[in-house]
Amino acid sequence: MPPALDIRGLSKVYGDARGLGRRPSSTEGFSALEGLDLHVEAGAFFGLLGPNGAGKTTLISAVCNLIRITAGEVRVFGEPHDSLAARRLIGLSEQDVNLDRFLDVRETLLYHGGYYGMDRDRARRRAREMMEVFDLSGKAGVRAPKLSGGMRRRLLLARALMHEPRLVILDEPTAAVDFELRLELWRYIRRLHGEGTTILLTTHYLEEAEELCDEIALIRSGRLVARDSAEGLRSAYGATTLSEAYVRAMGGQEDVSFLA
Amino acid sequence: MVAVPAHRRGLAALATRETHRVLKLWLQTIAAPVLASFLFIVVFGLSLGERIDSVDAIPYDAYIVPGLIAMAMVQAAYSNNASSVFQARFEHYINDVLAAPMRAWEVNLGLTIGGVVRALAIGAALMVASLLVTPVGIAQPLVLLAAVALLCVLFGSLGVVVGIYAESFDHHMAVNSIAILPLAFLGGVFYSVESLPSPWEELSHLNPIFYLVQAMRFGFLGSADVPVALSLGVTAALAVLVVAWSARLFATGRRLKA
Ligand SMILES: Nc1ncnc2c1ncn2[C@@H]1O[C@H](COP(=O)(O)OP(=O)(O)O)[C@@H](O)[C@H]1O
Ligand SMILES: [Mg+2]
Repeated sequence: MPPALDIRGLSKVYGDARGLGRRPSSTEGFSALEGLDLHVEAGAFFGLLGPNGAGKTTLISAVCNLIRITAGEVRVFGEPHDSLAARRLIGLSEQDVNLDRFLDVRETLLYHGGYYGMDRDRARRRAREMMEVFDLSGKAGVRAPKLSGGMRRRLLLARALMHEPRLVILDEPTAAVDFELRLELWRYIRRLHGEGTTILLTTHYLEEAEELCDEIALIRSGRLVARDSAEGLRSAYGATTLSEAYVRAMGGQEDVSFLA
Repeated sequence: MVAVPAHRRGLAALATRETHRVLKLWLQTIAAPVLASFLFIVVFGLSLGERIDSVDAIPYDAYIVPGLIAMAMVQAAYSNNASSVFQARFEHYINDVLAAPMRAWEVNLGLTIGGVVRALAIGAALMVASLLVTPVGIAQPLVLLAAVALLCVLFGSLGVVVGIYAESFDHHMAVNSIAILPLAFLGGVFYSVESLPSPWEELSHLNPIFYLVQAMRFGFLGSADVPVALSLGVTAALAVLVVAWSARLFATGRRLKA
């Protein structure tokens, strides 16, 4: 089986003047990813760790066609990432909650199903199932802006899973959520992985990565610094905890305040 | 209901979403502009019309109807799409569509349809009201149909383009009040530009919205300041330009994607 994700030489320069005959601007663009290679096996539970600004969200946005990549190649289960086939296979829950303010919970799920080509009956069934799983059934008719923070986060996840993607990408799904919801989300994600879905997770919590992921990639300043299991990373950096390995991998000078 | 083929479900869903938004807010998206334009027709046409001579042998209350309907539809198609696209970008929920397995032109078309539906709803309501209270008729139905279709394409697409470029809520309002509204007012809605002194008559011919108003007037009344081939031709050329512009934005992802 082809890998869930095969990234080669991926570079992203923000604010470059590519295309449309625009003269290169005098202000150089900002390079967020530099020739990054990453390989994620189908069925993996993969963690992407790195400090703020390391390029995690940029990497994810590149895979999901939300930014224009500067160079490189991205394949999703063997398909070019911008093909319709690849897009259908990915479910994305973004770091910032981005729910359509005009739609209620049920509509959010149904329209998403429509965008992903689901037929009406299947979408209805799946939406009902998602609302049950994520405890949103009582809020089916409530518009996104009227939901609590935790509900919005759950709806975001439900929307990502709506079209039954084989690769689920979760960008800091547990940042700024309370402890109970965090455990709940862990449970959902674990179950999903148990059902054979490939998971790519970014997180700021090292214990979360250690708890959930079978493989971890550390990225820093747009480059891959290391990738291994938590165990492998600990021994590679002669560390007793993942935090220690992380700090060593990052050169010990990055902002690690979030470890506290 | 007609079944949508599987590979067009994304487009159908997006078009439905945009239409849904218009209908959900119908009081402000449809009823308010219909009322405003209808008041213009009643106040200007019926009360003032008694005192204003007919223009080109057409009673004044009938004379202003085509231009007023055109203006209302232009505003609706443009501002609906500019707001909807800007808001989707601003709050990043457009990403749910940009990541989806849809072709660039489908996303473009889906986002354009809300303004088209809104303009058509407003146009239909105003047309019915005008047929009832003014002596206006529909002299050239095919010309009217062509003019309405070009209006929807031109200003629906322009709204999408401005929604993509806008960096604040004020931007698209500014385009409306600095460009579209004045050009529409000066486009011969209330008077025949032939009656203007030089150079104002000649300058009016540089106004792109002038041609749209003339095409609409020809459709309703069967006469206008310029030949119908010219008015439809200029409007069609503008529509092609703006559609090419928006198609380019969606195909390259420029400005839509960082
Ligand atoms: N749209 C953008 N335009 C310019 N720079 C950006 C944009 N998005 C992210 N960046 C920059 O790219 C770098 C990587 O950001 P990001 O991928 O969000 O990091 P992470 O998700 O790891 O915190 C940061 O320095 C950020 O400021
Ligand atoms: Mg991020």
